[in-house]
Amino acid sequence: MAELSYPDVTQLAVPVFIAAILIEVWWISSKKRGGRYETRDAVTSLIMGAGSVVAGILLGFVAWGFFSALWAVTPLDLGTSVWVIALCFVLDDLRYYWVHRFGHRVRWVWASHVNHHSSQHYNLTTALRQTWTGTFTFMMVLRAPLILLGFHPAMVLFVGGLNLIYQFWIHTEAITKMPRWFEAVMNTPSHHRVHHGRNARYLDANYAGVFIVWDKMFGTFVPEQDEKVDYGLVRNIGTFNPLRVAFHEWQGIWRDVTQQGLTWRERLMYCVAPPGWSHDGSRDTSETIKAKHLARNPQDKGTPGFS
Amino acid sequence: MPLHWLVILVVTGIAGIALITHRLGWSAPRRFTTEAEARAAWAREFPDLPAGTVALTRQGAAALVMTAQGPGLVWPMGADSAARLLTGAKARPTTKGLDLHLPDPSAPHLRLVLDPDEVKSWARVIDGGDTWLS
Repeated sequence: MAELSYPDVTQLAVPVFIAAILIEVWWISSKKRGGRYETRDAVTSLIMGAGSVVAGILLGFVAWGFFSALWAVTPLDLGTSVWVIALCFVLDDLRYYWVHRFGHRVRWVWASHVNHHSSQHYNLTTALRQTWTGTFTFMMVLRAPLILLGFHPAMVLFVGGLNLIYQFWIHTEAITKMPRWFEAVMNTPSHHRVHHGRNARYLDANYAGVFIVWDKMFGTFVPEQDEKVDYGLVRNIGTFNPLRVAFHEWQGIWRDVTQQGLTWRERLMYCVAPPGWSHDGSRDTSETIKAKHLARNPQDKGTPGFS
Repeated sequence: MPLHWLVILVVTGIAGIALITHRLGWSAPRRFTTEAEARAAWAREFPDLPAGTVALTRQGAAALVMTAQGPGLVWPMGADSAARLLTGAKARPTTKGLDLHLPDPSAPHLRLVLDPDEVKSWARVIDGGDTWLS
């Protein structure tokens, strides 16, 4: 592969992350508004973030090997101009939208992503509550088109890092709304608060990374309403143990798949169906949660999140 | 950034944020001071399964909830709460209360702080021996 390297922007951003968290803590404690912190929740989030970096170092060779193989076979090379990097950033954000959507709609991918939603808080530490098991979702395949189109693998990873850094600052309640033009195009704290909501109205909405326009294009956009966002999981986890946070859904898949008396199709569905799917219909998916909410609150029918 | 600098930064960052939030009083666990609070915390997790009788621990550290599907438990998770039905749960007495094992990877183990006279009656309900606290 031709030598090309970019800075590891996520590692370089670590001091900025810490400084921003300290500023948010100061803001909340002095203004008595703009969010909440809880020590064990914050520490768990930060340990998940550190563990995610370690997982990247240990398992990064898998994705890099895959991307290198693709780069070796593609006849295309778009070069390294600023415009190519900018185009790569936009297309990678489209890639992120679909990875993220799969992350909420395919249990195998959700098992990796669930930890990011497992905090009942929404502050800058929540942004760092990242997965340790992303490699095992095989979602790296969604980056294949970019590399086959001629974007260098190092560039693809570089813009992916920028994407993650952008998403850091939107995990806050300290910012209510950005200017209207910005809210229309970009992902913002307001849009992403909706994404972290466990309210029936807010489930499976706002998957965007940087540009909220993808949600508007693909029909998953829900604007923040007067209804206060309740953060966390539909069934909140009962542990701060980072190992449990990282692996509990994988363990759940294993238990479900190895139940006795299931058909092979049912075992497969426990892996790839939306979270909450069960062979006997005893659990709730986001669709049934929304339907039950509407049965209790018929006045909400047709309002954002229930259309 | 050299790896050793990154490690130092991350470790001191986590420790510093933990210390600051603790000193600000943001590590005090939630307590259920009223039955209504516990009931609301249950309804937040199980909106379609109403809580019947509710029994708070004397210290407000958890509440047993009777439902149409059997007993459930609601307990503080830091400043917030979590809740589970107790189907398949096993309770073991300890010096401070009960160790609870749930067949749920997302909430596998809980330590309930109970007064000595609460331990036996709670264990009977959790293990399915009693339908409710006597």
